[in-house]
Amino acid sequence: MAGSMKALKSRMKSIESTRQITRAMELVASSRLRRARERRDNARPHFEVLYDTLQDIAAVNTEFRSRYLARREIKKTCYVVIVGDRGLAGGYNHNVFKLMEEDAQGKEYCVLPVGRKSIEHYGHGKAEIFSDAFPTVADLSVSDCFEMARLICDAYLEGRFDEIKMVYTEFKSILTQEATLMEVLPFHREKTEERRQSARKHIILYEPSSEEVFDAIIPEYIAGILYGGICESVASELAARRTAMNAATKNAGEMLDKLNLSYNQLRQAAITQEITEIIAGSEA
Amino acid sequence: MSTFHLTVVTLDGCVFDGEAERLICRTIDGDVAILPRHIDYCTALGMGEAHIEVNGEFRYAACMGGLLSVLNGEVRLVATTWEWADDIDKARAEASRRRAERILAQEDISERERELAMARLKRALVRSSIAK
Repeated sequence: MAGSMKALKSRMKSIESTRQITRAMELVASSRLRRARERRDNARPHFEVLYDTLQDIAAVNTEFRSRYLARREIKKTCYVVIVGDRGLAGGYNHNVFKLMEEDAQGKEYCVLPVGRKSIEHYGHGKAEIFSDAFPTVADLSVSDCFEMARLICDAYLEGRFDEIKMVYTEFKSILTQEATLMEVLPFHREKTEERRQSARKHIILYEPSSEEVFDAIIPEYIAGILYGGICESVASELAARRTAMNAATKNAGEMLDKLNLSYNQLRQAAITQEITEIIAGSEA
Repeated sequence: MSTFHLTVVTLDGCVFDGEAERLICRTIDGDVAILPRHIDYCTALGMGEAHIEVNGEFRYAACMGGLLSVLNGEVRLVATTWEWADDIDKARAEASRRRAERILAQEDISERERELAMARLKRALVRSSIAK
């Protein structure tokens, strides 16, 4: 009996120290989450203005052609897969991989992994890797995104693949994050009447020409999309980790309570037994 | 003097949001100045000096890449990088220029490296010309 009490005690100790770690991770994630959300909100207007402008250009000029707008037969797809550098964030990484693999079924594709987990996942010949120059998602800067955008734009124009999709996790709220697939290239032209009318109402002067402006802005726009996707993903990762660690801390607490109860029962049983033994001894 | 509403945004957030009297910046086609009541206009930006006139005073900045659009008198400048003159670290820009020149002076560099070094040199030159 003394042996099982000792085993219980040591188990409780180890759960207690695990709880300390999960609680610390939760705190770290929530404090970094605030900064990540700020960064995400800051990047938002940049993307919106560029997107609107590109749509306007595409809407007014029906006969206008751009290398980025042309749809060609899709032989090969490039996926930009953005996940975290570390695990312990619930289903965060897994959801992204699942979504990407569902979409890629039966297609020929290559992957541009962003984040260490992504490189680990697609490494070892599991998928063709386009570039592994972006191993850590946490310290990717704006200029890295421009570099990445330039890389994929060049390869797209060379015809190494015919469409580019980005798989990332959209940050909806602290409690919900959703793996999302976004088509980056060819540029998707919105064909709504509203867009056409708003574009027709304003006659905009483009200098030097609408084509040139469009082609000059596209790499910028893609860098913006990538950066936005990375910001969203980083915020989502932290939120997912916070939720996962919160649950882990709670579970550890529940386990501790249960173990504590059985420990106390054992201890009480031991005392009762001792008393019975003493009384029996004195009576004899 | 009449003014127009100008917003300057970069990926790191909004750097200017307010009334301005004049905006001068370099586009891929040369320098332009935007004054109040400009027609609807859109162009892509090159690398160069930009300045904004607010209450008769000029504020200088290094502006690289992006887009300038005027719509209904609203001016939006979306820049890849935008650095106010006071924020530019001149020593760093000089160091970056020297590094780029050293790379360009070597003979056995690839086309890609040359391109990168040229771009770095250009940025450094713009920065150091604006920093005071």
